[in-house]
Amino acid sequence: MLVDYELIQRAREGDGPAFNQLVGAYRKRILGTIARLIGRPEDVEDVGQEVFLRLYYSLDQLRSAEVFEPWLYRLTANAAYDYLRKRRRRMESRMADLSEQQVLLADAVAGEKIDRDEGQKKRIRDAVDALLDQVSEEDRVLLTLKEVEGLSLKELGAIYHVKENALKVRLFRARQRVLKAFAAARKQTAGVSGS
Amino acid sequence: MNHQNREAGSNDERLDRLFEAYRAACPDVEPGADFMPRLWQKIEARQGVSVVFGRLARNLATAALALSCLLGLAVSISGSHTNALPGESYVEVLAEDHDNAALDLEPVRFTPAAEQN
Repeated sequence: MLVDYELIQRAREGDGPAFNQLVGAYRKRILGTIARLIGRPEDVEDVGQEVFLRLYYSLDQLRSAEVFEPWLYRLTANAAYDYLRKRRRRMESRMADLSEQQVLLADAVAGEKIDRDEGQKKRIRDAVDALLDQVSEEDRVLLTLKEVEGLSLKELGAIYHVKENALKVRLFRARQRVLKAFAAARKQTAGVSGS
Repeated sequence: MNHQNREAGSNDERLDRLFEAYRAACPDVEPGADFMPRLWQKIEARQGVSVVFGRLARNLATAALALSCLLGLAVSISGSHTNALPGESYVEVLAEDHDNAALDLEPVRFTPAAEQN
């Protein structure tokens, strides 16, 4: 915990300075998580604002200060879902959205054949972002929290209110779907390159 | 079978490496200097909307209550002035009113066109 229970309690009771302190303690961590969940640095702050806005209006529903962190992660995951859903509606994402260059780059990264400067990092972000766009928002958020954010099954269980075994199954299926999308994109790229 | 397992394992490793590269490629996002002021603006804006809605809802409820009182009063006043149904039910009054109309009711006879000719 980055803050003590007393601070959370004070924020729950509507203490403005306590809420400021709470946001100050968690905002960097939450913005980092959002950046990895949505893959678009330019939109991170807006989604972060939405998370803390929801936090402000739902603090009184928090059962106890002990569950604050998983609960904040849940708000974060939900705000990321909403953002990704809206973005998908705007973009009408399709399999073809993963460009040939992105597939080749993802392939090279997966095969450890690449040095990473800033430009390259952006291209990696875009390629993985496009790859994760091929699966559902639920798969994307769950996989990112586990594989990129590094949360344990226990932590994920607390966020999703699901037992560890059920989570393992969901994670396995989500991985399979990403692998399938990756394989399909590679096959398509190979077809384009071959012709 | 072994070949398939090896391939699945290698794909899993590739995906892990891809996620690892993605994690390294995601920059740490520093919140802007106006993060908190913007957040409080949004909180206050939403509070403002809920205050306006609350006020509107209270006014509507008061107006509805006043209107129902007025209507109740109007109905009770008009009820005391008109004795449209003194001790009789609506159906009885209707029957009395249409007493003669019942005499006009002849059974409907149907004569097919062929028989008419």
